[in-house]
Amino acid sequence: MKTSITSESLSCGAPAQAAQAALAELPVRAGASLKPDHFQYILNHLPDIGFFEIHAENYLVDGGPFHHYLTRIRERYALSIHGVGLSIGGESPLDLQHLDRLADLIDRYAPAVFSEHLAWSGHAGFFLNDLLPLPYHRATLQRVCDHVDQVQNRLKRRLLLENPATYVEFSSSNITETDFIIEILQRTGCGLLLDINNVYVSSTNHIRDPRAYIDALPPGTVGQIHLAGFSQEQDGAGAPLLIDSHDAPVAAAVWDLYDYALCRFGPVPTLIERDGNIPPFEVLQAEVRLADERLNSDALRGRRS
Amino acid sequence: MNKPSTAAALAFALGTSLALATASAQAGEMKDTMKDAKDMESMEKCFGVALKGKNDCKAGAGTSCAGTSKIDYQGNAWSLVPEGTCAETASPTSPTGFGQLEAFEEISS
Amino acid sequence: MSEQDDFVTALLDPEAPLPRDLATWNGSDPATRFAVYRNNVTVSLIDALADTYPVTQTLVGERFFRAMARLFVQKTLPQSPVMSRYGAAFPAFIADFEPAGSVPYLADMARLEQLRTQACHCADAAPLSTARLTQLLSDTQTLPQQRVALHPSAQLIRSDYAVVSLWAAHQDLAELHRVNPCTPEQALIVRPGLDVEVIPIDPAMYRFLEQLLGAASLGRALEDTCLTHPDFDLVAALGLLIQRGLIVDLPLETTT
Repeated sequence: MKTSITSESLSCGAPAQAAQAALAELPVRAGASLKPDHFQYILNHLPDIGFFEIHAENYLVDGGPFHHYLTRIRERYALSIHGVGLSIGGESPLDLQHLDRLADLIDRYAPAVFSEHLAWSGHAGFFLNDLLPLPYHRATLQRVCDHVDQVQNRLKRRLLLENPATYVEFSSSNITETDFIIEILQRTGCGLLLDINNVYVSSTNHIRDPRAYIDALPPGTVGQIHLAGFSQEQDGAGAPLLIDSHDAPVAAAVWDLYDYALCRFGPVPTLIERDGNIPPFEVLQAEVRLADERLNSDALRGRRS
Repeated sequence: MNKPSTAAALAFALGTSLALATASAQAGEMKDTMKDAKDMESMEKCFGVALKGKNDCKAGAGTSCAGTSKIDYQGNAWSLVPEGTCAETASPTSPTGFGQLEAFEEISS
Repeated sequence: MSEQDDFVTALLDPEAPLPRDLATWNGSDPATRFAVYRNNVTVSLIDALADTYPVTQTLVGERFFRAMARLFVQKTLPQSPVMSRYGAAFPAFIADFEPAGSVPYLADMARLEQLRTQACHCADAAPLSTARLTQLLSDTQTLPQQRVALHPSAQLIRSDYAVVSLWAAHQDLAELHRVNPCTPEQALIVRPGLDVEVIPIDPAMYRFLEQLLGAASLGRALEDTCLTHPDFDLVAALGLLIQRGLIVDLPLETTT
């Protein structure tokens, strides 16, 4: 069930939320994924952009061009670091060596934000290179909270945890995803990285109301927003099955849902994520501007602290 | 224990190399100078240019947090024929190069 | 078996039963949805290999490469989330992979590409100044005992085939049809700055650098190389190291 609203229909009369601003150490602007294809362009042109985000694991190397360029870009831009390999939802214990390497990377680049996923990607010493889903019940909740605690204690900073895009559900789940997330936030004190595309993708895939998902999340907990493009397939019964592919521009329905979320949470640093079909930087920057325009819209003015 | 000639050879070679390096740095024409001196440039003469990798900052795979909608076809390598540039390469035993169908039939039989 | 054991088994083996816990809102067969995860894992890992081994892929074509990579992925999952390290065992896999046997240099090409990726991400090191190296000439008697540390990214490759020329041909640095693949070749792979360089070297230079990388002193490396290669050109060898800034330290000889 697809819902759509126009920006004119938005009305955000609520007062500014100080808690929100305190959470967001990144500039309350839009940023972009940092891709090696764009290293040189960025240093040559110094585009006006809120921040860059990297995937931690791409920089867990000893030296060479990745560190060379990131060091120079970090000198000029705010940074968020997004991990894809901690496997916080995994049954296996956290990889402590990996956690140590992340700590070193965070010390080196002092990002405003470090985030990870409500998912698992490793098992029994192997890394599967995908964000895999977990059932939502008391046992998995405990496991995730333990892992989040462990990460926050080791990194000595607050983690932002990202809501997942999922393609299956589990019959053993007896907690909704939003209640599961709220419980993690309350128990561990971590923040939420709200991926609007993931909300849309998962809601479509499991026939939930994406706005109800947004409405269920408490204001003041969202430290960052992700926007990305998806691709469309079909499930075994011909129902739409959206894939969180990050290889296309942000879809209109996701922009609408973004407006809706901004209305609820106020302005939040927002990333345009792109991992595939990487366009020239100017194209990515144009999408970043679209997000900036929404962050600066009249409807939200006055909610910025 | 080294032969006395070893020390002399090393001193001569190091001195010559350093002199050339300094001279070429001063002249700013490193490669021309070195070419005269039968240096590493001659080792690359078969290509005519110094070999430099392309797109180095992309070398190797990176991580992504995206899914893919690309479907992995269930190709069976045991029945596939290499169909790349290996076929353009001369082979002393076959005028049509490497990677021929015959070779695969031999293996699979 | 734990839940995630079952999940992983089903991810990697399309013949294995799906995890029992899967549910779909419309009661559709979860296999189609689960296939998204199967694809994500397999395709992303094959893509990772394709990123690291582009010339290897071009040599045999995408279809063959991906089918071969798929078999490797199924038996060799990454052990680290750092994907630039994934696939170090792929060259050895190719060497034993019979269907690739008609391209006998394929495994060595993969080895060359693997070394390039390794060099790319290797630790940085600044070259010693020529002034510092010139100091060595003040005491030429101890010069044979001197060891030189090369850039940490420096690695050697040797093949019975012309993989260095074939690699160059795929960078538009040489003409493919002019390369005789059955010519043995050697190269030094190193990243003194930001760019990985593939430097063709002769067998004598290979022997000399092999000694230096094995922490032999200059004197020992020279004498050893001259035993098997009397025509070894030491001036050219040191010229290469100095010109490219590959000498990064002068460790003291601890044994004689």
